[in-house]
Amino acid sequence: MAQNRFPKPDFESGYKYPEIHHAIPNEELLVAIDIILLVALMGIVSWAVIKKRTRGPILWVSVISVAYFGFFRKGCVCSIGSVQNVALALTDNTYALPLSVLLFFILPVLFAFLFGRVFCAGVCPFGALQELVNIKNYKLPKALTTVLGMMPWFYLIFALLYAVTRSSFIICRFDPFIGIFRLGGDIGMITCGVILLIMAMFTGRPFCRFFCPYGALLSIFSSVSIWKIKLTDKPCINCELCHNACPVDAIRPPYANKAKESRLRGVKRLLNYFVLLPLLILCGAFLMRSVSSELSRANKEVRLYDMVMQHEANPGDVLSLELEAFYGQGDSIEGLTQRYEKVQADFKLYTTIAGALMGLVVAITLIGLSVKRTRKQYEIDHAACVGCARCFSYCPQYKIGNESGNIAL
Amino acid sequence: MKKAILRNIAIVSALFIVTFSIMLITNYFQVRDTTPLQTEVVETLKQLNDANNTNLALQEQIRQLDLLARKAYFVRLDHLMAGVYILLGMLVVFIVSARFYFAKDKNIPVKTIDPVDEWVDKTQARKYVVWVASGMTAVALVFVLLSSPYLTTKEKTSKDGAAETNPQETALVAEESAVPEAGADTLQTAAEEAVSEVAASKVTHNSFRGNNSNGISAAKGVPVKWNLSSGTHIAWKQSIPRKGFNSPVINGNKVFFSGADDQARELYCYDLNTGEKLWSLAAVNIKGSPKQMPKTTKDTGLAASSVATNGKQVCAIFATGDIICADMDGKQLWAKNLGAPSNHYGYASSLLAFGNEVFVQYDNQNSPKVVALDMATGTERWSKSRTEKITWSSPVIAYVNNKPQLVLMGNPAITAYDPNNGKQLWRVECLSGEVGSSACSANGIVFGASEYAKLVAINATDGSVLWESNDYLPEVSSPVATKDNLYLATSYGVVASFDTKTGQTGKVHELNTEFYSSPVIAEGKVYLFSNDGKMFVFSADKEFRLLDSFETGEHTFATPAFTDNKIVVRTENSIYCVTAN
Ligand code: SF4
Ligand code: SF4
Repeated sequence: MAQNRFPKPDFESGYKYPEIHHAIPNEELLVAIDIILLVALMGIVSWAVIKKRTRGPILWVSVISVAYFGFFRKGCVCSIGSVQNVALALTDNTYALPLSVLLFFILPVLFAFLFGRVFCAGVCPFGALQELVNIKNYKLPKALTTVLGMMPWFYLIFALLYAVTRSSFIICRFDPFIGIFRLGGDIGMITCGVILLIMAMFTGRPFCRFFCPYGALLSIFSSVSIWKIKLTDKPCINCELCHNACPVDAIRPPYANKAKESRLRGVKRLLNYFVLLPLLILCGAFLMRSVSSELSRANKEVRLYDMVMQHEANPGDVLSLELEAFYGQGDSIEGLTQRYEKVQADFKLYTTIAGALMGLVVAITLIGLSVKRTRKQYEIDHAACVGCARCFSYCPQYKIGNESGNIAL
Repeated sequence: MKKAILRNIAIVSALFIVTFSIMLITNYFQVRDTTPLQTEVVETLKQLNDANNTNLALQEQIRQLDLLARKAYFVRLDHLMAGVYILLGMLVVFIVSARFYFAKDKNIPVKTIDPVDEWVDKTQARKYVVWVASGMTAVALVFVLLSSPYLTTKEKTSKDGAAETNPQETALVAEESAVPEAGADTLQTAAEEAVSEVAASKVTHNSFRGNNSNGISAAKGVPVKWNLSSGTHIAWKQSIPRKGFNSPVINGNKVFFSGADDQARELYCYDLNTGEKLWSLAAVNIKGSPKQMPKTTKDTGLAASSVATNGKQVCAIFATGDIICADMDGKQLWAKNLGAPSNHYGYASSLLAFGNEVFVQYDNQNSPKVVALDMATGTERWSKSRTEKITWSSPVIAYVNNKPQLVLMGNPAITAYDPNNGKQLWRVECLSGEVGSSACSANGIVFGASEYAKLVAINATDGSVLWESNDYLPEVSSPVATKDNLYLATSYGVVASFDTKTGQTGKVHELNTEFYSSPVIAEGKVYLFSNDGKMFVFSADKEFRLLDSFETGEHTFATPAFTDNKIVVRTENSIYCVTAN
C-alpha cells in the first residue's frame, strides 16, 4: 500500500506496479443495519427513560453503541457530522446527499422532538463513551458552564459556514474520539480525545456540554419535546438529591425569587438587552464579514489561488506539487480566478450570516440570564438533559418495587 | 490497602499518560514536517539527473535514497502508532483503577449545605458572557487590523520611499476603519480603494506579453474603458524621453521600458502609481559596443526589444547588441555587448526573464543563437547555436507536464529547449519567410504562426504536429490561447479565433485596421490595440464576442502591461496608466 501513497518516482525504472485490489464489504447491508440499530436503540432508550424510568437498559445501549457505532463502524456515519452534509445539500444542489446520512441526521432530531435527547443518552457513541468512563461528578461553577455552553453554538455556526462554502468538514476533521475508535489517526486529535475522556471521568460529558454542535441542535427540539422526561411521578419533596446526581447539571433547583435587586432594575436590564439584540447581530455580522477573507484561507481554491499568484509574481521558482498539478492539468488562471472570486463572494455572504447568528447566540444567552423564573420544585431543563436516567434512582420517591433496583452507576 | 494500590496505579498511569502525550506530540511535529518525497538530497540529485540523464549509477543512487527516505518515514509513522496504542492502553488502566478506587463513594450524592443562589450565578455568568463576547470581538479586530492593507502599505512605502503617503496617517485611517460605526460596505470599498492606490499588487507583468511571455495576465479589476483626451480613468500620462517600439513591463510599483535614438540608449523606471520617473540608466561605455549605430528601419528602431525583470533585476537590450542590467533602484549591475547583430530591419526580439535567468533570442545573420544569462551577474549560463535565419520574434516559456520549456520561433523551425541547460527538446520545421510573431501555449500545446507560412499546433510533449491552418496569419502580433480557444490578429485587420483541439476557425472579426500589438487575456477578456490606437475588447470564450471598442487617441504598437486595476500603455510618443478607479 505504502508505495501508492506517494507519487511514483519521476523516471522510468521498468518496475511494474501491482494492481490494487480492494475487498468490498457489503456496504449496503451494513448501512441498513446501522439504520435499524439506530432506531432500535433509540426506541429502547425512549422506553427506558420515559416509561420505565430506569438506567439499566441505557447502560447496555451505551455498550452496544460504543462497540458497534464506535469501534466496529469506526465512528462513521455519525449524526454529529451529518449536519454539514445536510447544510451543504441545502445550499448546493449539485451535492447529492446520501440517504443514510440524511436518516442519521433526521432520526435523532425526530426522536428528540418526541422523547427528548434519547440519542444522546446512549446511542451516540461519543456520549456513550463519556458516560461509560464517568466515575465522579465534580460540579463546575454554573457561571462557567453557562459561558462554555455557548461554544457548541459557535462550533455549529463555523461548521456550517465551512460546509456550505465547500471548504472543509471541520466537525469530521477535528473529531477527538474518532482516533480512539479507529486506534490511530492524527496524534493531536487523539491526545485531545484522551484529555476529554479523562475529564469525562470526573465531570459529566465535557464534549457533549461544551463542544458538540449536534447536541446544541437537539437541545432545541428536546426543549419542546412532546413526551418529556420526568424526575418522578409523585410530588417532589425538594430533597435536592437528584440535583447532585445529574452529570450535566440539567436539574434546576426550586427558586424562591430572593434576588435583592429591585424589580425595576431587572426589567430595565432586560429591556436593554432587547435593544442590544439587533446591535449585537449587526456587530457580529460586520466583524465576521471583515474577517471573511482570512477565514476563506481554509478553502483549497483560495489557497491554490494564493500559491498561483505567488508563482505568477516569481515565475522562475520551483513548482510545488500543488502548482505542478495546477499547471499540469491545463487549468487556466481565469478559471481559477473565477472560482476564487465565487468562493470569496460566498464567504462574504455566509460569514455575514454566521456573524449575525453568533451575535444572536450572545444576545439570547444574555437575555436568558436576565429573566427570573420562580420554580417551586426541582425541575429538569429539557434542553440540557441528555436522558442518562441517573437522577431517577436518587429520588426517595422512586418506586421501591422497581425491578432494576438502585442502579446508579 | 487495596485502595492504596489502586490509587497508586491510577497516579502512576496518569503521570505516564501526561509524559507520554508530551513525547508523542513532539515526535508528531517532527514527523509531520518531513515529507519523504522532497528530501533535499534527493531533490538535488534529481536536478543533477535532469541535467544529465545518462548516468545510471546516479539514478540508482537516487532510487536507493528515495527508498530509504520512504522507509524511514514509515518506520517513524509506525513508532507513532505504537505510541498511540500504549497511550490508549494506559488510559484504560487509569480508568479501571480510578473507577475501582472511587467504587465505594460514587453513589453518595453530595448535598450542598448552602443552597445555590441562582441569581448570583446568573449575574456572574452575564459578566463572563460579556467578557467572552468582547474577547472574540478583540480577536476579530486584531485579524482585521493585521490583514489591513494599510499595514502592508506602510512597510512597502517606507521601503521604497517613493509613495507620498504618510505612514502615520495610514495607520490612523486603519484604526478608524476598524471601528464598526458606518455601514460595512462603505468601509470595505474605501479600504479596497486605498489598497489599489498604494499597495503594490502581487500580479506582475515581467516580460513582453506578461510573465512567461504567454499573453495571459492574472490581473483583477482590469479597466474596461478609458479616454485619453478627457482623462477619464487615466491615472497619469508622460511623454517618452526616447523612442522605441518595446512594450512596458510591471513589477510591484514599478514600470520599466526602454528608449533609444542615435544619441543614447536608455532603460527607464517609472512609478506605477504616480507616473513619476524614478530613474533611468544609459547603456554607455560597453566593451565591444559598435561606434556606429546599426542601420534600422523606421518601424523597428534601436529599441524594439522589450525589457524583462524578475523583481530583483531588470535587463534591457538594444539593436546594437548591448545588454544592460540594473537592480530595482537603477544601480547598474552589469553590461555587455553580445556582438553587433546583423539584421536588415534591426534587432527586435524581446528579453524573457525566468527565475534568475534572462533568455536572449539572438537569431542574426552571422551566428544565430539563444543565450541564458544570469540576471544578477551577467554570466552566461548556457548558449546554443541555432540553424535559423534572422528572426524578430521573442522567446516564450510553455509549461508542459509541469515542466517549463523555452520555445523559440524561427525560420524554418519552432524549437523547444530545456530552460535549465539549453538542451533541445523538439524541433518542428514549419515556418518560412520573415518570422516576427512569437509563440504561445496552453494546456501543453504550443501554437506558432507567421504570415506567408502557417499556423501550427504542436503537442509539446513530443513535438508532433496536431493540426495546421492557414486561413488567417499574423505578421507582427503574436497569438494567445486558452485551453479551448486560440486568438490572433493579422496585419490586415482580421481578428480570428480557432478551436485549440481541432484547429477549426471560429468567430472572425474583420475590423478594417492594422494590428502590430499582441492580444492579452485578462479577466476572461481579450484586450487588443490596433495601430491607430483603437482598443478592442473581446470575450475570451468560444463566442469571441466583440464586447467593446473605443478610440484611445494615440498610435499604439506596443503590447500593454497589466496588473491589478491597472493597464500601462505605451504609445508612439507617450506612456500612460489606465486605472479602474
Ligand atoms: S451531545 Fe453530541 S456527543 Fe453528546 S451524546 Fe449528544 S450527540 Fe453525542
Ligand atoms: S436524565 Fe436526569 S441525570 Fe440524566 S441528564 Fe437528564 S436530568 Fe440529568
